[in-house]
Amino acid sequence: MHPQLELLLELQDLKTQRRSLAEDGLSEVESAVFELRPSEALEILDGKIEELAGRLEAPVRARFSEVSQSLGRAVAPVLNGICYGCFVAIPTAWSSEVGRNDRINVCDHCGRFLYYVD
Amino acid sequence: MQQMQLRDFFSEDAIKLDLEAETKDEALKELVGLLGLDEKSQAILFKMLKRRENLGSTGIGRRIAIPHCRSLVVNRLRVAFGRKPGGLDFDAIDKKPVQNIFLIVAPPLEVSNQYLPVLGKIAQFGKESDIPERLAAIETPEEFLALLEEKGV
Repeated sequence: MHPQLELLLELQDLKTQRRSLAEDGLSEVESAVFELRPSEALEILDGKIEELAGRLEAPVRARFSEVSQSLGRAVAPVLNGICYGCFVAIPTAWSSEVGRNDRINVCDHCGRFLYYVD
Repeated sequence: MQQMQLRDFFSEDAIKLDLEAETKDEALKELVGLLGLDEKSQAILFKMLKRRENLGSTGIGRRIAIPHCRSLVVNRLRVAFGRKPGGLDFDAIDKKPVQNIFLIVAPPLEVSNQYLPVLGKIAQFGKESDIPERLAAIETPEEFLALLEEKGV
């Protein structure tokens, strides 16, 4: 896997965790069952997100930031040849390539970074 | 519509009643290993689970832990169960060793949105008074599945 793609996945997963804690019912469960303090957890997550973002190469970081702001999620999984960000098919030859996660791929339609899930 | 049952999410090959792990990290890795993901995905998932643990332990007390996270490396909700009869230090809420670990991993977006209900059901299951003893007595994955069915969760 391309090291920058790995970083992007980690970053997107952390942002998902942050969003879940801040916006949906997870916060309630985390407090009630796991005795987590969401405000403290959000602070820790923000620090980690900033640290990881700082390790992205400049052009990757710029796209990540731009797409995150305009579309929410900047990294989308590809399942069965479909970008799960915009639900548009990825060109077949491209999506069936071996080692496709070894480089940075971007959806031609929505601009999200792509991660091929086996 | 038929109500969701925990039993439907567990497969026998993702149930391990004799974890080899001696530490919390080893247990997380061993459980992730039950999901059949490639090596890189396992490493990313382990990191995410660790980051969640760093926010606060998922050991809810009464010998039970429920590590959980959402990650892009899975394409559907996945669960696994591991038991360590001798117990592991999980930094649990009650500071006691953990013997029963339920792993829950979900993709960032799910059509049927099962992550929270499954998390809630496992927490509810773990709170039943006889569960730690019942889990300790189980000898096969089939018995584990039968217990979930019996409890109707």
